[in-house]
Amino acid sequence: MRTGLARFARNRLALAGAAVLLGLVALVALTPLLYPGDPFRLVGPALQPPGGPFLLGTDTLGRDVGAEIAYGARTSLIIGLSATGAAILFGTLIGGLAGYYRGSVEVALMRITEFFQTIPAFVLAILIVAILSPSLFSEVVAIVAVSWPGIARLVRGEFVALGSREFVLACDGLGAGDARIVFRHMLPNCTAAIIAVGTLLIGTAILIEAGLAFLGLGDPNVMSWGLIISSGRAVLRSAWWICTFPGLAILLTVLAINLVGDGLNEVLNPRLRER
Amino acid sequence: MSRTSDVTNLSRRTVLALPLGLAAAASGARAAEPKRGGTMVMIVHPEPSTLAHYAVSAGNIPPIATQVYEGLCTYDWDQNPQPNLAKSWEVEPDGKTITFKLQDGVTFHNGKPFTSADVQYSFMEILKKYNPIAPVMLAELVAVDTPDPMTAILRLANPAPYLMKALSGRDLPILCRSVFEGTDVLQNPSANKPIGTGPFKFTSWERGQFVRLDRNETYWKPGLPYLNRIVARFIPDAATRSAAMEAGEAHFAGYSAVNYADLARMKTNPILDLTTKGYEMTPAQSVLELNGRHPQLQKKEVRQAIAYAIDRKVILKDVMFGYGLPATGPLSRKFKTAGLYTDDVRQYDVPDRLDIANKLLDEAGAPRGADGTRFALHLEVNSFGEQWLRQAEYLKQALAGVGIAVTLRSEDTATWLRRVYTNYDYDLNEPFLSQGVDPVYGLNKQFLTSQIRKGVTFVNDTFYSNPEVDRMLGEGARELDAEKRAALYKKVQQVLAEDSPMIWLIDVQYVSVSNRRLKDHTTGPLGTQQAFERAWMDK
Repeated sequence: MRTGLARFARNRLALAGAAVLLGLVALVALTPLLYPGDPFRLVGPALQPPGGPFLLGTDTLGRDVGAEIAYGARTSLIIGLSATGAAILFGTLIGGLAGYYRGSVEVALMRITEFFQTIPAFVLAILIVAILSPSLFSEVVAIVAVSWPGIARLVRGEFVALGSREFVLACDGLGAGDARIVFRHMLPNCTAAIIAVGTLLIGTAILIEAGLAFLGLGDPNVMSWGLIISSGRAVLRSAWWICTFPGLAILLTVLAINLVGDGLNEVLNPRLRER
Repeated sequence: MSRTSDVTNLSRRTVLALPLGLAAAASGARAAEPKRGGTMVMIVHPEPSTLAHYAVSAGNIPPIATQVYEGLCTYDWDQNPQPNLAKSWEVEPDGKTITFKLQDGVTFHNGKPFTSADVQYSFMEILKKYNPIAPVMLAELVAVDTPDPMTAILRLANPAPYLMKALSGRDLPILCRSVFEGTDVLQNPSANKPIGTGPFKFTSWERGQFVRLDRNETYWKPGLPYLNRIVARFIPDAATRSAAMEAGEAHFAGYSAVNYADLARMKTNPILDLTTKGYEMTPAQSVLELNGRHPQLQKKEVRQAIAYAIDRKVILKDVMFGYGLPATGPLSRKFKTAGLYTDDVRQYDVPDRLDIANKLLDEAGAPRGADGTRFALHLEVNSFGEQWLRQAEYLKQALAGVGIAVTLRSEDTATWLRRVYTNYDYDLNEPFLSQGVDPVYGLNKQFLTSQIRKGVTFVNDTFYSNPEVDRMLGEGARELDAEKRAALYKKVQQVLAEDSPMIWLIDVQYVSVSNRRLKDHTTGPLGTQQAFERAWMDK
């Protein structure tokens, strides 16, 4: 593990990404102190440019763009982490069952997985949110629905490969139960891959959430980066700051997550490690 | 000569002079001699789903359809009817018979002559059966008699003074009988290839792109129209619509086809001109409806408190970008011209409005809890555009100020309409309501007990039921005496403002943006929803 950390530390881009993410977590943690109260509150005159009493300006209704971004960061993190967590759980379950039991179970589960993969992800997300009506919960459900197949395929592949390895065959021969084999021996050997892919999924989840909110399919009671951008779009040419700052926030966050994900992948993936 | 006949003579002379003389004089006074030719590109947004103007009421159809279809009358700036397909008319003193003398020498675009049979067929077989405003505007119409080809007599069961406001090509267009007779009116090919008597003929419709209209060479008004062609372009993206106007590619964008947010920039553009004229007969309000079956909202004090809690000026400035006026009551100020609007009602926009709101809520038995909240409500977000989410966000903040916790719910249009108008599963709703050419249209739909109609959209969904209002609205619809009618509607507005079944937010104002080369585009109160027969392009 120490060598892993050292390898990660040598990757400057990944370090930079990690720094940005740490900053984001700090921002979320400090939000209640920095911007106490509701980010939807009308705190000043509308359309104040940045640099005045409101550091990042105010939006069309006179809300503080800085507060909106801070609370939006919280929403993004909550959605990114919870949707990814749920997608990993569900994808691992489906992929694990398919990869461990093989046969008709595998055929059935993998066809279902592929069915989900054939539908364009964002269209499926829109459809689900439209049916469930927009809320934080329905957004998470939609993101899970479009993210789990990737995890399921990954885990199935790992399980199939591990299933023919000597240590697994030995366990089986010694009479270990399915649960023991799966949870003690096979899953721990997939965690590296799952973490690497899961990290990237957080970025995707944040992007999907922003996209849904931008299209008016976000929870209207929860501040989100996509919501800020969609509210500023109408005045983009006269009040650039409303769209620009949350746009930058999305860009930086997703970029940072991808850099960290790549860095982790490099450290954790044995094939890349041997290079 | 008696006084009466003097008046008759004068009005007849005016009537005959108007179609050419006065209007031409008006335009002549403002600008140079009209130039002939040229193509005018207008932006219509969104693209209509049909051009069956006679059967569908949507704001985006008339800008195209009224170039092709004409009505019996047009309207002057004072909203008085002026001759168009009807050259004169007479209303019997009992108000139940209206005799129209029709214009001779008018032909439809298919070459068929226009006669009283077309008027009869349009009113009785098409408009009365299929036009969405007919259940109100043509409710009293029982028959159209045609004693000769140039005379049409409308027979009414009861007087209908409002009918004289609805005779334009926008509201009650005249169609060609031979085109429709014996066919399914809604499936008729001319639904999307309109055939009328208007100054422009329909040429083609490229879906997703444009509708092309060409000059009617045999138009019955001599010398008109001036333009050779009108192209109605459809541009889904708001920024592109604005850019098309700024680049001079399009010459006219009416009915707020350009986003309010962009108007401040357009105003400073030397090639563009903005006007709020031409919407005098297109009154509309944005409102906040309160579900009268909700245990809190059924209390008058609570409804009034909500009316006090909202600062309409914020909505006007930050949501409507300053276009419009804070609403004072159930009628838009556009009804001032007709003498039917009054602001002599309970005033909610007063300096100490928040104190009053809190006091009313306390008295209504809705005290603040430990967290400052009195009770919670859901607000259905109007799904017709971004600005309504902004308005909802403001309303939520405003009501939080008096201790009402609001949760916003945004759904797709179909779900929203079903939730509100079929399931009545809502507390607060923020629709946008057109009020028609006469109060009879908007007020009756929203406040008559008989208009509580499950499943019908944009009717009485607040469960407002007041026998006194029912009676006055019924009398107001039939009252021929202008003063008595105004008094009735004044009382209606006072009672409604007091009862506050909904909160009237903004008297909406549409805006037209035009290229300065385009002249005389707005010549009457129907503006973009009447023919551009006098519009012309400079250079």
